[in-house]
Amino acid sequence: MIAGLFRRRPARSLRPTVSMLVMSYGVLAIACIVSLVPFFYVLSTSVKQTRSLFSYPPDWIPETLFWGNYQKILFEHPFLIWTFNTLFVALAVTLIKLLIDAMAAYALAKLNFTGKAALTGVLLMSVAIPVAALIIPLFFLIRDLGLLNSYWALILPPLANPLGIFMIRSFIVSLPDDLGHSARLDGEGEFGIFFKIILPLIKPGLVVHAIFTFMLQYTNFLWPLVAIQDERKQVLTVGISSLKANFVVDWGLISAAALLSAVPITLLFIFLQRFFLAQNLAGAFKG
Amino acid sequence: MNSGNRIAEAEHRRLKASYKRRRNIVALIFLLPNLVFFLGFLLLPVISLFWQTFHDGGVLSPMRFVGLENWRKTFADPLVLTTIRNTIVYSLIAIPAVFLLAMIVALAMRTAQHGRSFFKAVIYFPTLQPVLIAALMWTFVLHPDFGALNLVIRIFTGEPVNFLGDPNLALPTIAMVEVWKGLGFWALLFFAGLAALPTEIFQAAELDGAGPVRRFFQHALPLMKPTFFFSVIFATIVNLQLFDSVFVLTDGGPSNATATATWYVYRSLFTFNEPGFGATLAFVLVAVVLVLTAVQTILLKGGGK
Repeated sequence: MIAGLFRRRPARSLRPTVSMLVMSYGVLAIACIVSLVPFFYVLSTSVKQTRSLFSYPPDWIPETLFWGNYQKILFEHPFLIWTFNTLFVALAVTLIKLLIDAMAAYALAKLNFTGKAALTGVLLMSVAIPVAALIIPLFFLIRDLGLLNSYWALILPPLANPLGIFMIRSFIVSLPDDLGHSARLDGEGEFGIFFKIILPLIKPGLVVHAIFTFMLQYTNFLWPLVAIQDERKQVLTVGISSLKANFVVDWGLISAAALLSAVPITLLFIFLQRFFLAQNLAGAFKG
Repeated sequence: MNSGNRIAEAEHRRLKASYKRRRNIVALIFLLPNLVFFLGFLLLPVISLFWQTFHDGGVLSPMRFVGLENWRKTFADPLVLTTIRNTIVYSLIAIPAVFLLAMIVALAMRTAQHGRSFFKAVIYFPTLQPVLIAALMWTFVLHPDFGALNLVIRIFTGEPVNFLGDPNLALPTIAMVEVWKGLGFWALLFFAGLAALPTEIFQAAELDGAGPVRRFFQHALPLMKPTFFFSVIFATIVNLQLFDSVFVLTDGGPSNATATATWYVYRSLFTFNEPGFGATLAFVLVAVVLVLTAVQTILLKGGGK
């Protein structure tokens, strides 16, 4: 089902009426404005001095642009280190998960083994475990392993999430079994089949999985907040939230930080848009 | 002749067993890297969570067995009930709201074919941001002094509305922020569901004289069941864990109006230093989510057959 999205569908023959078209474009225009307005207001705040924020009536578009907030966040706070940490951890989790999830998905989709149905059931049920509820035992576990305040603390726990297995499995299930059979007759082992035949065929699925995993890590907040106390090991979300902890909140600084933090993910979005927008996770749970 | 058969049979059994063993070993090699993390960082924490509900301490002092003390405290604490109520009320506001709005946007996308990819990209943009950043950005819209929305409200009424400081408004306001951030995700998911529906059914329905409203409710909605099945369950699991926006916007206040279960679990560990109590509340949350998911699965899957 997911793979089908990458093919173009023929144009629909049902013609909407004019009033339906007007309503639809109206809805989309309003949705776009509502989606973007907060970003523009944060942008306008970020080029103002914080004290001028409290003047009334406000100047929506400041006459002189003030870059101090950006200078301050970039050079007086470890903002670039937070950005590096976020990207490094998200990338590490994504790459490791891609490999281990694809391997497990292949076993569940195409191999026969004792206890397969039971294992599939347990993994599927575990998708429903709310990971936020596990912060206390995970905190003790990571502490006892001596990994608090390390990248390992951020990388290891997310690898346990079984959702990704089912995303990739739905792609592998849709491949014909004969692919494997004929390769086996040619003397190819299971690893050869997996790496040389299966993986190249499910590339779109792997990209969707990778983006989903990356986004989940990039937006993660609660676990890094629990596992990392060291300011220089922190990720973007927690780092920026710590700016609010001061007695007098520097709103200009926060607006600049929030806006800058959107830059890496926006760039990624521009390059990989069609994979981001392939929203059909539902297919993962059909099988 | 007979003994030869028996030898062949034994040979067959031996080969079958060795094939089976080999097959299991190959499968295990493919599964093991994943299962190590699954067992260590998901199953083990769930088990130790249960174990911790009977213990206390562990942060600075060693853990000690306290029997059912944590369970007694959990059910005696009125704030526990408040956090569970807030979490459920929030979900009952946020999930239907975001589903309804996302469905409207998805239908609009399906009708409006020009510039579709532009609309998709713009509406998806808030979904890219971490909840925490989205919530921080909304401070600039909601703040009584400089919030954009309040600056507009002041033009009309002269008085700002303290969205996050009013116990009656705080939780719905947080739901609104989450709906804003989630709209793009659900709109695109529903759009993918709509786009996958076979066109023939609608053509046939149109020939029968069904208008767009009837086509949607009678033909499209029932066919989108798999999408909804996934969406309801996924949204329930995610929303019952509400934390990020609460942490940055209200920190549970005013007067506990936005205190959620996850927020209380976090505070029990880091502010109140009562990990055993927090673990018990967390265990209740796990149980509630698992039971709800099971009930939803039975209801939604059973209805279709």
